[in-house]
Amino acid sequence: MEGRTVEDKLREEYFEILPEIRAVCEHLEAEIKYRVLPISHSLDRFERIIVRSRVKECESALDALRRRQEGATFDPERAEAYTLRSLKDLAGVRILAFPRARLGEIDAALRNVFDNWTEDPVLGDNGEKLAFKYWGFSAASNEISGEYQIVSMLTGLFWEVEHSAIYKPSPQLRGVVRSPKMREPIANVLKALSAFDEEFELSIQQPR
Amino acid sequence: MELKELATKTRILEGAGYRYSFDREVYFNRQAKKAFSVEFVEDRSEDEIEQLIRDNAPSTNWRFFFVEPPSAAVERELANILG
Repeated sequence: MEGRTVEDKLREEYFEILPEIRAVCEHLEAEIKYRVLPISHSLDRFERIIVRSRVKECESALDALRRRQEGATFDPERAEAYTLRSLKDLAGVRILAFPRARLGEIDAALRNVFDNWTEDPVLGDNGEKLAFKYWGFSAASNEISGEYQIVSMLTGLFWEVEHSAIYKPSPQLRGVVRSPKMREPIANVLKALSAFDEEFELSIQQPR
Repeated sequence: MELKELATKTRILEGAGYRYSFDREVYFNRQAKKAFSVEFVEDRSEDEIEQLIRDNAPSTNWRFFFVEPPSAAVERELANILG
């Protein structure tokens, strides 16, 4: 059809696959909650595990795919080359844990179930692991992949603040947080949160 | 790439009158009609970037410094957006 932009084509694709994305999201959330349950039941009073899922919104998916292109611009003459199905996180689950000592235990429990999923950790600018991350296909779909992350609660909540305070009301500001100049202050926040986690863990190990 | 190195390159570009497009993730200068993608800036040395900034060969068309050279259609699109 003449006059349709790459974005138009992708929006149409999004709504075609939306039921399947939802199914993957629900399946993934249920499976993860079930597998994490034994750990949740063994938590100390100060410990917490939260499992959250989300379906990536249409404009957010388009923006993520566009920003994968150098110059963040779709080539209008190669519209057929773009598909939202290439995004790994259309359906995503995040597991937040406090303190972070629980992260490894949760990871081990889920690896037993998602053993053929691809590991793709979130790394900081200094190469440090910020979150465990995996993507793959579930029984809910062999076309739409899902993704799950296991992250310290402090870091995960910081990402949520970024998302709800900045991207959600003003999606055009997503690029500001991704800009080279913002990388250093963000790295400093993550470092401070990590130092808090570390000190807290040391403190609770000492006799009270 | 180290954040310090990236910060130095950003200073070089900004010192030469380049602005950062948050939407397109490129450094651009309307007078010089040049744009550098973030990927290119991360990939190349400070010296190389400085040399490309200094290169004042007259041009009426935008010049895009990308790791993967953009297609003519993408160049047109970006030229329209950057003004």
